[in-house]
Amino acid sequence: MKNYFNLLLVLTNRKIKKAGLNPGLGYLLGLAAFILLAEYLFQKTSFAKYLVILVCLSFQFQLSEKNRTDFLQSTFGDKTKNKIRILENLMVSIPFVSFLLYKGLIIEASILGLCSISFALVSFHAHFNLSIPTPFSKRPFEFSTGFRRTFYLFPMAYALAFIAINVDNFNLGVFSFLLIFLTTLGFYSKPEQEYYVWVHAETPGKFLKNKMLHASKNAAFLTAPILISMLIFYPSEVALILGFFLIGLLFLWTIILAKYSSYPEEMNLPEGMIVAFSLFFPPLLLAVIPFFYLKSVNKLKFLLNDKN
Amino acid sequence: MIKIKELSKLFGNKEVLKNLSMEFSKGNVYGIVGENGAGKTTLFRCIAGLESYSGEIISDVMPLKNHLGLLLTEPFFFTMMTGREYIRLLCNARGKTNVDIDNKNIFDLPLEQYASTYSTGMKKKLAITAILLQENEYFILDEPFNGVDIQSNIILTEIILKLKELNKVVIISSHIFSTLSDTCDEIHLLRKGEQIKSVNKTGFKDLEQEMKEITIGNLIKNLELK
Repeated sequence: MKNYFNLLLVLTNRKIKKAGLNPGLGYLLGLAAFILLAEYLFQKTSFAKYLVILVCLSFQFQLSEKNRTDFLQSTFGDKTKNKIRILENLMVSIPFVSFLLYKGLIIEASILGLCSISFALVSFHAHFNLSIPTPFSKRPFEFSTGFRRTFYLFPMAYALAFIAINVDNFNLGVFSFLLIFLTTLGFYSKPEQEYYVWVHAETPGKFLKNKMLHASKNAAFLTAPILISMLIFYPSEVALILGFFLIGLLFLWTIILAKYSSYPEEMNLPEGMIVAFSLFFPPLLLAVIPFFYLKSVNKLKFLLNDKN
Repeated sequence: MIKIKELSKLFGNKEVLKNLSMEFSKGNVYGIVGENGAGKTTLFRCIAGLESYSGEIISDVMPLKNHLGLLLTEPFFFTMMTGREYIRLLCNARGKTNVDIDNKNIFDLPLEQYASTYSTGMKKKLAITAILLQENEYFILDEPFNGVDIQSNIILTEIILKLKELNKVVIISSHIFSTLSDTCDEIHLLRKGEQIKSVNKTGFKDLEQEMKEITIGNLIKNLELK
């Protein structure tokens, strides 16, 4: 078990080094970014605690993936696998639980701690042999596969919007709306295998514009029920609601372009930091989007055989 | 037509393709044979534009990649993507929309099932179906017969012959010599990145015999099987 965690540490350090950073500095910067972002969320919305819990659980959800847990079980046996999974989940939860405790949210921190332990004993996707229907089947792949991975979040977001309108809580409505955008950003977090870029008979510019166009259409489709309800029930806040929608779209474009600006490598710390800074100061997106766009065009020139 | 002139490829200091020159004409099927590591896949990746190289690759339609159906040895599939979505994705990428997928599902694949859950053979059949529906002018099939059941191998052989009839360029690699001798007009033999020889149909038997002798040599004798 000790060797396994040593190996995990080596692999994580390797990833940080690949991003061009000293591992120690990488951990420090990651921690600082986490604290700043969490603090920002707590300043902006009263639902930040739920978001913190949700983000932590979503990381743990990824660790509970069936193939991964199967590998651990076949390598270490049932008992050690459970120990490893509990330790992994607790390690992931440390910053989140600590932050909740720092905010005096003892009950929420305890619930998150307990959930972390219980989630460690479950593996997901285990019985998903049936294909989950998706409205995005006509134009695969990011939204079709992403929707299937996160389908349970959408009814949750719609339910939150319904509650928000019922209890007349505008902020909660906006949160439910942003939750969908945040989820869709995750659809573009990992670079696809080069074949899936190469296969396109398009110039890099056309390829990126199509990606952005379809992402915008699909995100608009998913947010439409909340957006329309909010516009009906909060007509005085039209500008603010549409403003949030626009910012959501801009972030979606930014993530798509950030992904291809480091392609075929994964998005690195510099790109991540630029996106994080833009979260604090969204007008920055007006410079960040063209910057990432030009970088992406250059990165894709070879694979898409663009000689210009 | 695809013309390769003095193609070389280096991985670090290791030269994996050494000064290859070949020509692939329309309406012909070409085989590339060689041991593992001979450079077959690298050659295919260079032709497809997935690898940088020195030398020249020209075709009558440019860019070649936009008219090329490429079957990789082990096609990759996203988790939670159905067979139908995979075909759609590849067709959309070449601007082919409204393809009648159901009628063209000749291998009778379960298209509503996630492609990542398919068996090795089914995955290969799905990838072949997708590149056929893209309506390409050129085809590179890296180990198309591997892992595919005998019935589908028969269908695949007929498909290759039909592509030849349709005046397409087809380049295949295979470790099963009979699949190549049934379909190819010319076979190029690679060894350690070098083009050892190119033979046409009349020389296939000799080539097979020569490959057998070189590959087997005294190996079986050395085993001293009792």
